[in-house]
Amino acid sequence: MHTHKVIELMTEMNLTIGSKVSIQKSELNHLITLLRDFGYETIGPKIHNQAISYAVVEQLEDLPQGYSSEQERGYYRLHKGNHNRYFGAAPGSDSWKKFLFPPRSTLFSAERENGGWNETINREENKKFAFMGVRPCDLSAINIQDRVFIREDYVDPIYSTRRAKALIIVVNCLHPSSTCFCTSMGSGPQATSGFDLSLTELEDVFLVEIGSDAGIALVQQIEWAPASANYLQIASKKMEKSMQAVTRKIDDPQSVPEMLLANLDHPHWDEVGSRCLSCTNCTLACPTCFCWEVEDSTNLAGNRTQRTRAWDSCFNLSYAAQAGGNIRPTTRSRYRQWLTHKMGTWVEQFGESGCVGCGRCIVWCPAKIDITEEVNSLREVTA
Amino acid sequence: MNSMLTEPTAAVKIDSLLAPYWAEIVEIVPEAEGIVTIWLRFLDQTLQERYSFAAGQFNMLYLPGYGEAAISISSDPQRPELIGHTIRFVGNVTRAVSRLQIGDTIGVRGPFGTAWPLETYQGRDIVIAAGGIGLASLRPVIYQILNQRDLYGRVVLLYGARTPSDLLYSTEFSTWEDNQVEVLTTVDRADESWLGQVGVVPMLFYRLRLDTDSTVVFSCGPEIMMRFVVFEGLARRIPHHRIYLSLERNMKCGQGFCGHCQYGPFFICKDGPVYSFDQLEPFFNLEDF
Amino acid sequence: MNAQQELIAALQSIPWFQDLSDQHFDLICSITHLVNVDQDTTIFSEGDKEENLYIVLEGRVAVELFSSVQGKIRIYTAEPLDVIGWSTLTPVIRQRTASARAVLDSRLAAVDGRELRKLCDQDYELGYIIMRRIANVIAARLMITRLQLLDLYAHPQGD
Ligand SMILES: Cc1cc2nc3c(=O)[nH]c(=O)nc-3n(C[C@H](O)[C@H](O)[C@H](O)COP(=O)(O)OP(=O)(O)OC[C@H]3O[C@@H](n4cnc5c(N)ncnc54)[C@H](O)[C@@H]3O)c2cc1C
Ligand code: SF4
Ligand code: FES
Repeated sequence: MHTHKVIELMTEMNLTIGSKVSIQKSELNHLITLLRDFGYETIGPKIHNQAISYAVVEQLEDLPQGYSSEQERGYYRLHKGNHNRYFGAAPGSDSWKKFLFPPRSTLFSAERENGGWNETINREENKKFAFMGVRPCDLSAINIQDRVFIREDYVDPIYSTRRAKALIIVVNCLHPSSTCFCTSMGSGPQATSGFDLSLTELEDVFLVEIGSDAGIALVQQIEWAPASANYLQIASKKMEKSMQAVTRKIDDPQSVPEMLLANLDHPHWDEVGSRCLSCTNCTLACPTCFCWEVEDSTNLAGNRTQRTRAWDSCFNLSYAAQAGGNIRPTTRSRYRQWLTHKMGTWVEQFGESGCVGCGRCIVWCPAKIDITEEVNSLREVTA
Repeated sequence: MNSMLTEPTAAVKIDSLLAPYWAEIVEIVPEAEGIVTIWLRFLDQTLQERYSFAAGQFNMLYLPGYGEAAISISSDPQRPELIGHTIRFVGNVTRAVSRLQIGDTIGVRGPFGTAWPLETYQGRDIVIAAGGIGLASLRPVIYQILNQRDLYGRVVLLYGARTPSDLLYSTEFSTWEDNQVEVLTTVDRADESWLGQVGVVPMLFYRLRLDTDSTVVFSCGPEIMMRFVVFEGLARRIPHHRIYLSLERNMKCGQGFCGHCQYGPFFICKDGPVYSFDQLEPFFNLEDF
Repeated sequence: MNAQQELIAALQSIPWFQDLSDQHFDLICSITHLVNVDQDTTIFSEGDKEENLYIVLEGRVAVELFSSVQGKIRIYTAEPLDVIGWSTLTPVIRQRTASARAVLDSRLAAVDGRELRKLCDQDYELGYIIMRRIANVIAARLMITRLQLLDLYAHPQGD
């Protein structure tokens, strides 16, 4: 029944950017196949080590259908929920960052030749990713990293090549976690632009919003129907509820950068510094943290070397080590660096905050440090 | 950006950004115990001809197997056909430099960073306050002044090192003095043969009668030394924005995206290393920042 | 110019003496004489009971400590208008804590320390001006010493 109508309607309705359609859930499988035929590596949420992790998804069944997740400070559990949603569980510790800005990449290798060196640059392979199930906050995170790696004065070859080819399918959040604070950071729970397609998962269909020409091309090849008024209304009601369900908050987010810089000597830094373990979890889980380190590995003969860049963290002791000593020898100073950069100086550097409110740093901190609480405490005592 | 049907928009500058250009060491000049100047020429002739830099900028020097280090360009910006780097052997890369010989190749990326604002201060008096290896970043300033000596007013070099034999470029002092650059040196440790000052660079300000309305201060050296240079400068009513410092931090990329060199909102590799003190003041006295 | 005129001219060239009233200036003149020393001449030695306060007028004077292992160690190099031998004005130190040696031909104003202490005790106003000046000298010397202690240019300790 559905199919029939669709074909009729398709000729009537012209798909454009901004069009909203509905698709049967099973059509997502079709979409996956289509993308794979186009040469995309289709990446989506999968269960790995009892948590959601982003990995290659070859078919609809690979998605964690019916699963929910529970998050708290230093706590993440997956369990079967009482629903059939494919995107019911919130992301685990990893994010799309690991695809666009790989944890390790070889930059080049160099070989000794006639007394000199001859380098072979590791050209970025033709990797085409289709990201399926990007949360609105994570989409913001990608946009934030764009500003770091693709700039007027610098274009990172690895990131930019991957990013230019990446296709983004967003899933709006109707069931935010307790650790989410996207409404404070203006990044969710709904994405309004910057995607190829965005999905809203209702009980029986996906509502699909088209965000790009690529999105149009894709939808044209699957079975769709114009989004009915009923579906749109349900979705909008649920979204309303979802916004209310985001209860974790940062007070007066606009003023945070200024507040942090005015409180660099605040005693609260000592307090949080005494709890933080400098384990680097928060920076690795953070979808916007971009610091990296680079090292050479050489063969025994010393005539061949490979230069590799790898994620680094401002919590690592070596991060600020230099001749004459370490600039940030204490955990207090490193936590202060992380937080004031993330939520403060980032704005001056890149025009917006480095925090999207995804809550990963809260969930994956073994010391249960909660960034929202830290920011609010820094304000409280001095206000 | 996200269209799967279009080609990537990225300008792929892989070669110049993360991989170095190769240069040959044409000369090695011992400057002091554990410090040499190496003179480089790019293997690529056209690059050598295109290459230019400003006083205060630095290169990332790369030794395969060891890594990269940020090193100021210590030679004359108007003579870029040979590029000088004065290097102190302190760690992984720089110690490996000590074993290099003429004819060896070394990787270079750069130049990076901001320059000493000489053009802005034509006609002014310039006080250059350098400590130790910090003079490497400031020697190009002196060369540039000597190239156009009449464009500047009084020029004073205040320079300190650990011992008399640690004073860099001392054979050039007399040439500088012949060109009306006053050279005042001081050392921390000296024996009886030393005729000059003992003490640190900031105290050399005591000896100066400056026309503070005109004076600009450029300083590079250990951070504590620069703190006191600022102190002496401000005490003489030289305005904050006319005191310039060159900062040092651990650097990996030189282009503001590895994060390492951050100082508050600044990426020292890109927005610095040269800053006016009014930019730095909010953070200058913070511990562990 | 006779010796007295010469002395007055020399003392007038010292900026901080300009704060003194004529009467105080004359008092200082009366206990001061000029000394000329050739390069390498010792002006005073560590342990001496000699009690002058010196103001360098021309030349350059090294202040040194002697170590049997390291030989002469330079502490300070005094240039024109620098004060050396300030310990003579403190209430307890009654012997030289370092040696002073001219490294260039030099000319100094030597103020009799015992007399100066006496003048300061008798006339607090003069005493205040002198002690304030000496405090300044000591403070600057202390700051320089602290910075030297940091050994700013030392080679970083291994990794
Ligand atoms: C803009 C700029 C200009 C510069 N110009 C010059 C110049 O002209 N000449 C010059 O000689 N230097 C210059 N430097 C300094 C130079 O870049 C650093 O000293 C650099 O670290 C040397 O690299 P390296 O690999 O030899 O030393 P590294 O191996 O990086 O070691 C340097 C020091 O850091 C310590 N260290 C390094 N990593 C660690 C760690 N993980 N844990 C603990 N300690 C560690 C080492 O013990 C050592 O003391 C400049 C720096 C900057 C930022
Ligand atoms: S805040 Fe938590 S996650 Fe981050 S470094 Fe400290 S202990 Fe680790
Ligand atoms: S050196 Fe990488 S950000 Fe400055």
